Amino acid sequence: MDTIPVTEVDTDKIGWLGWLAAARAWLFLALLFVAFEVWAQFAYHVTFLFNPFNVQSIAVFAVAPLLLALGQTLVIISGGIDLSVGFTMGFAAVVFAHCVNGTLDSLGVFGSLVVGVLVAISASIVPGLINGLLIARLKVPPFIGTLGMYGVARGIAFLLAGGTTVPVRNSILAALGNGNLFGFPTIVLVTIIIVAVMHFVLSQSRYGQHVYAIGGSRQASLRAGINVERNTIVLYILSAVCAAIGGILYTARFSAGAAQAGEPLLLDSIAAVVIGGASLFGGSGTVIGTVIGALIIAVIQYGLVFVNVEPFWQFVAVGVVIVISVLVDQSQRRLGGGKVDEE
Amino acid sequence: MKKWLRPSILILTLCALVAPSWTHAAEKKYTIALIPGLTTDAFYITMHRGAQAAADALGAELIFQGAPEFNPVQQVPVLNAITGRKPDAILIAPTDKTQLIEPLKKAAAAGVAVVTVDTFIGDGHYQTGSGNADFPLSYVASDNIMGGQIAARALAKAIGDKGKVYVSNVKPGISTTDQREQGFKEEMKKHSNITVLETQFNDDDANKAASQLQSVYARNSDLAGVFGANLFSAVGAAAGVKQANATGKIKVAAFDAPKSIVDQIKSGEIEMTIAQHPAEIGYFGVVTAYAHLTGQSVPPLIGTGFTVIDKNNADDPAVKKFIYSE
Repeated sequence: MDTIPVTEVDTDKIGWLGWLAAARAWLFLALLFVAFEVWAQFAYHVTFLFNPFNVQSIAVFAVAPLLLALGQTLVIISGGIDLSVGFTMGFAAVVFAHCVNGTLDSLGVFGSLVVGVLVAISASIVPGLINGLLIARLKVPPFIGTLGMYGVARGIAFLLAGGTTVPVRNSILAALGNGNLFGFPTIVLVTIIIVAVMHFVLSQSRYGQHVYAIGGSRQASLRAGINVERNTIVLYILSAVCAAIGGILYTARFSAGAAQAGEPLLLDSIAAVVIGGASLFGGSGTVIGTVIGALIIAVIQYGLVFVNVEPFWQFVAVGVVIVISVLVDQSQRRLGGGKVDEE
Repeated sequence: MKKWLRPSILILTLCALVAPSWTHAAEKKYTIALIPGLTTDAFYITMHRGAQAAADALGAELIFQGAPEFNPVQQVPVLNAITGRKPDAILIAPTDKTQLIEPLKKAAAAGVAVVTVDTFIGDGHYQTGSGNADFPLSYVASDNIMGGQIAARALAKAIGDKGKVYVSNVKPGISTTDQREQGFKEEMKKHSNITVLETQFNDDDANKAASQLQSVYARNSDLAGVFGANLFSAVGAAAGVKQANATGKIKVAAFDAPKSIVDQIKSGEIEMTIAQHPAEIGYFGVVTAYAHLTGQSVPPLIGTGFTVIDKNNADDPAVKKFIYSE
């Protein structure tokens, strides 16, 4: 994060206002917690934030959209978008469920799980690779290329599933999906590890710097000798693998692989990335921002149920947050003299 | 060579001209199209199986075509394409009470017999001479209000007739799930010690349904039961219960019986499910259309049954046949 020249905001120059804008996602999340806490206290005389059950539930809720959003963050930073993640997730969930069921007798409870994870992740590389090749080599616009893959992955997932959900019976998997480890939900711990890895890749590795550079200016990256084509292909594979992990955790949690598992999550995942401060025009964004973005969406949706607000307000609330985020983002860039997203 | 060729061609031609009219006179092969609410659902796949059995028995041709999602925007083009093929009858599970009226009217105007299965258009009362949606010949379905009532009774019994419950539902506007909720709430009014909390809509997202359960439970520690009005509502609620370590304390009643739900009943995550008889709906849908096409009169409403599946009867062969096929 700190080595990226493309969009770095000079905080000295713009003072507290710019700092406020830069930390807006954190502030907003904190504000939401406070608002719901006050609301719950006044209306029902109960605590919202200081109930560990609530915090845990929100974390579990955020897992699936967050996993889709992690790969998406990198893709969006590079100036692309991956619309196929939802069905790549469903595809991986179905492949995983079939593998675990199919190898249970020969490999046992644990062996079948390992094979299932390996096969599902390997299988997800295929749509990722095709996306990458289409976009990097054949110069298909990301929106169109991944929209095509959206349909293909969806169709194949449903074909593999026979048009229905594939139930899984595996005792270890059930414990993984709904159990706790050291007092934390296991799927949340798994997600934290993946977040840490992705954060490291994006903020510390040379690859991460290249991703920002490609998003900042593709031409400049080419001139600087960055292998844009290969980096882009890897991006879409990473995105598909993150989605596949989401599919595996979904299957663990609901003891069934469903082809439509990720369908309602796609837009939430893109919203999480944008709320987290990434620009759809590329060049900026962070993994931690996306985590906050996913948490904001989860807190809104969970909190509004908690304080018993009519459900349709959830859509309104999330929509308003997205628009505000983008507006703040734009003004922050003007303040910082950075790249403003207008042609 | 040429001498015998000419008369034989003549004879062959005559045969070819006469033959179809012979078979036509003897028995017309009717074409019946089944358009499900969505193609990717065990419920409709099972309905297709029942419809195929009836079509085979009657010597009719069955076409099964639908959209991958339950929404009118995708279903109407499929309906129009099928109408263009001019089948003798269309069995359709309309994805919206009002939006499907006009497209189906066009099909009926083109001379296609229309029967709705599972869901309905207008108010579901056909051939009454009133309203603009009474033209379908018949509505073949489970009585979803009754299904909701059965679910309420079974859940009330399971929670000892007291405590808080709520309905986990998809979204408003779908005739079947609306009716299940309505039936459930009506029946629960008779149980004075049970409070029905506000319905939670999850957009058919199990992840959201799970989170909603946890949120409702966090505020209502005396939550005793949930009615999941469709597959993902129930599966999500069950996962939420499990995550909250409240299995057994909060009982989940499901609707429909794909294999995954029955597995979860056996493992105790779901208490019971109200199985519809989709094969029966498909079978009687085809039979109804055939009866009409061959000049018989048909009833405007045919109600099919329910079976409550729980841990005790899930392996009973008499009950097992109601588990939806995949």
